[in-house]
Amino acid sequence: MLKGNSKLDETMLFSMQEDPRDATDQSPDGELTQFLIFRSDDLLFGANVEYVVEIITNHVITTLPMVPNYVRGILNLRGQIIPVIDIRLRLGKPSQEESIIIVLNINGIQIGIFVDSVAQMISIPKDHILPAPANNTQKLISGLYSLQDGSTMMVLDCVLLVEP
Amino acid sequence: MDSILEMYLYETNTLLEQLESIALSAEQVNTFSQGNVDEIFRIMHTIKGSSAMMQFNALMTVAHRIEDLFFIIRESGMDVLSEQSRSELFELVLQATDYFRNEVEKLNNNEPLSEDIDSFLTKINSCIVKIKSEIEGVPAPSSLSECAASDAPTEEVAQTENLLVAGNEDFPYSLLVFFDEGSGMESLRAFMLVNSVRDFCSDSEFVFSPSDVETNPESSEAIIENGFLLQFRNADNRDASIQVVTSSGSIRTYQTADYSAPTLANTTTPVLAEETTEVKKENVKPTVSSKSTASDSTSGLSHSSKESFISVNLSKLDQLMAVVGEIVITESMVTASPDLNGLKLDNFTKSARQLRKLTDELQDVSMSLRMVPVSGTFQKMNRIVRDMGKKLNKRVKLTLTGEETEVDKTIVDGISDSIMHIVRNSMDHGIETSEADRIAAGKDPVGEIILSARHTGSEVIIEINDDGQGINYDKVLQKALTQRLASPDMEYSTKEIINFLLMPGFSTNNDVTEFSGRGVGMDVVKKSVEGVGGTLSITSEPGVGMTTTLKIPLTMAIMDGMKVSVGSSIFTIPIHNIRQSFKVNSDEIIHDGTQSEMIKCMDNFYPIVRIKDLYGLDCGYEEIQDGILIWVESGEISYCLFVDELIGEQQVVVKPLPTYVNSFNIKNHGITGCTILGDGNISIILDVANLYLSI
Repeated sequence: MLKGNSKLDETMLFSMQEDPRDATDQSPDGELTQFLIFRSDDLLFGANVEYVVEIITNHVITTLPMVPNYVRGILNLRGQIIPVIDIRLRLGKPSQEESIIIVLNINGIQIGIFVDSVAQMISIPKDHILPAPANNTQKLISGLYSLQDGSTMMVLDCVLLVEP
Repeated sequence: MDSILEMYLYETNTLLEQLESIALSAEQVNTFSQGNVDEIFRIMHTIKGSSAMMQFNALMTVAHRIEDLFFIIRESGMDVLSEQSRSELFELVLQATDYFRNEVEKLNNNEPLSEDIDSFLTKINSCIVKIKSEIEGVPAPSSLSECAASDAPTEEVAQTENLLVAGNEDFPYSLLVFFDEGSGMESLRAFMLVNSVRDFCSDSEFVFSPSDVETNPESSEAIIENGFLLQFRNADNRDASIQVVTSSGSIRTYQTADYSAPTLANTTTPVLAEETTEVKKENVKPTVSSKSTASDSTSGLSHSSKESFISVNLSKLDQLMAVVGEIVITESMVTASPDLNGLKLDNFTKSARQLRKLTDELQDVSMSLRMVPVSGTFQKMNRIVRDMGKKLNKRVKLTLTGEETEVDKTIVDGISDSIMHIVRNSMDHGIETSEADRIAAGKDPVGEIILSARHTGSEVIIEINDDGQGINYDKVLQKALTQRLASPDMEYSTKEIINFLLMPGFSTNNDVTEFSGRGVGMDVVKKSVEGVGGTLSITSEPGVGMTTTLKIPLTMAIMDGMKVSVGSSIFTIPIHNIRQSFKVNSDEIIHDGTQSEMIKCMDNFYPIVRIKDLYGLDCGYEEIQDGILIWVESGEISYCLFVDELIGEQQVVVKPLPTYVNSFNIKNHGITGCTILGDGNISIILDVANLYLSI
């Protein structure tokens, strides 16, 4: 599934990082949720692993005419036809040629998303995710979470993603 | 349990279809033949038995009463019935079909069955009384109450017990069957055995004990203890039964015994008489009911050894089709693998060729599994024509041709409602209201609707033709004007007027009748025909009639396609849409004032559509002489597509596009689906009609 790629930091990916805060002040109802963190245009996004199927590289995409530009096309994943969208273009940022595809299954709808690189997986308590500010214009982000190194992960709203 | 229910539904539906077609054909000749009566009797008996087993008591009771009714008719014959009670009888049988159908439909949808069968039972009972009184010449109201009051099983028990008590003169040849110890469900096994015996032996020819195996699971005990006793009137039937017994499973042993009849004098004359009639019927049966063999083999409950049909869930066939499609693609991926380039592999090539042949065969076989004749759908129209004819007081004859034409099962299901709608339209609007009008127009007073189906290569053409008054163009145009579909200052051709008929919300009838004018019109029919990849066209001549033609693809799953390239993209165009492909020079192109280009071929001018420009592709030929023109046609639309190159013809497995991309409405731009090519890449399948309309 995972083909060797310089962009995948495999040691990072497979070393499950437990947030030290969980051990100390984990509230009794603080359910742990796993997120796959990926990078797109220097931003960190987190996708709930519940939705993640696999990560693929070097796939041939067939472009489709008459669709919005962020729909990069369709790909053949072992006989299944899956649409691929570019997160950068979806968020209104310039596209980048070389990318990795994360295949998501969102309530039965399979979709691939182009990202720059995949960073790591983390487990965090659900109630530590803070809501995005009310005046936030980026519709695809449902929450924010501060990582240990001080950077901020934006939680990708996958369900909203498949609504064109 | 679910599978038993499914079996029950399937079997009952098959029987009901038979019943309906018997009733309709019998009504034509105004009598039930002896074979018909036997057949209906058998159908009702099977429904009764299986309903009892599933504990659908209401269904069982109704079936039982109808069985009683036909028992009487079977004994006395149709000839004694008066004209009036005959038509009542036909009506009753059809009503019964509807009743069972409704109930079965409810079962299918997991709804509770209606327990209120009293009014229907009263109807059947009054019919029984009437027929009885006609037979005997005296009214017999007492027997009615008796019949209605006595419960089905007890009646039978009493009957058989009497026979047992009275001795075995009538059924001298007995067969005692013991099932395997601990095999379980002995009553059910016994019942299945009885059912198999019924296939060749009529009910009055044998008895069995315990007689309540159908309804009483407790009878298992008695069977374990004493065995299951079958007694026959003649030895031949018993011998045949022994064969059935030995071929069915879980039988430990069986014994035969002959009852030595004391003297012939002891046998009462009525019995003897009955016996001879029975024998006669037996002789008649094989010739009259040609349908019974087919029905026997499809009925799932009877465990007969001659069974050569099985019923398969359609979803399994879909799955098979999908897998076969994958195999076909994978096969070409393997044999055309780029890794093999430049290698000389004799044995490989040989095996690959063999594999190709086998996958082709596999594909053909799995396709043929899904093909069903259209006769099932056509037969249903008989009922519609009959019912509507009665209600509207029109005499109409329905002629069916090409019923045996086979179409993919999903397509048949998709268009059967459409055909029904068109037939209803013909009945309601097409055929003249009064026969005087028909005679005045020099036509046969009896109207005719012809339903025909035929193959043409990759398509099936279904035509619904009536010899009615045809389309009244003025009236349609008036209506279109009042409904603001047409504009008053335009001139419309007849073709354009016909197109109004296919627009949403169009209806010529001012009143809403039971049959049409409910707002669901030809537009819905057109949609559902196009939904299965077909086209619909109407032709009409005022005063002569109207013909509706449906062109339906044989199957949607696999089609012949022409691969073409434009820049780096590969598109597939259905072969049946392509008329011709040719190279042209730029000086042959005709430019009108605007951007559009045209080409003249075969004395007609056709517009040119450049795929590159239409889809805004980055690369592809600009100069018309570099690429190639493909002349395509779909229904009324005909034009030329400009592409870079023809790659070649290939059978492709059509895959739908993901719903996510479909939500961008690309279907309206001529992109209907995609297919996976030999190298694993995807090619987009074009719909030439929608492509042109999107410009």
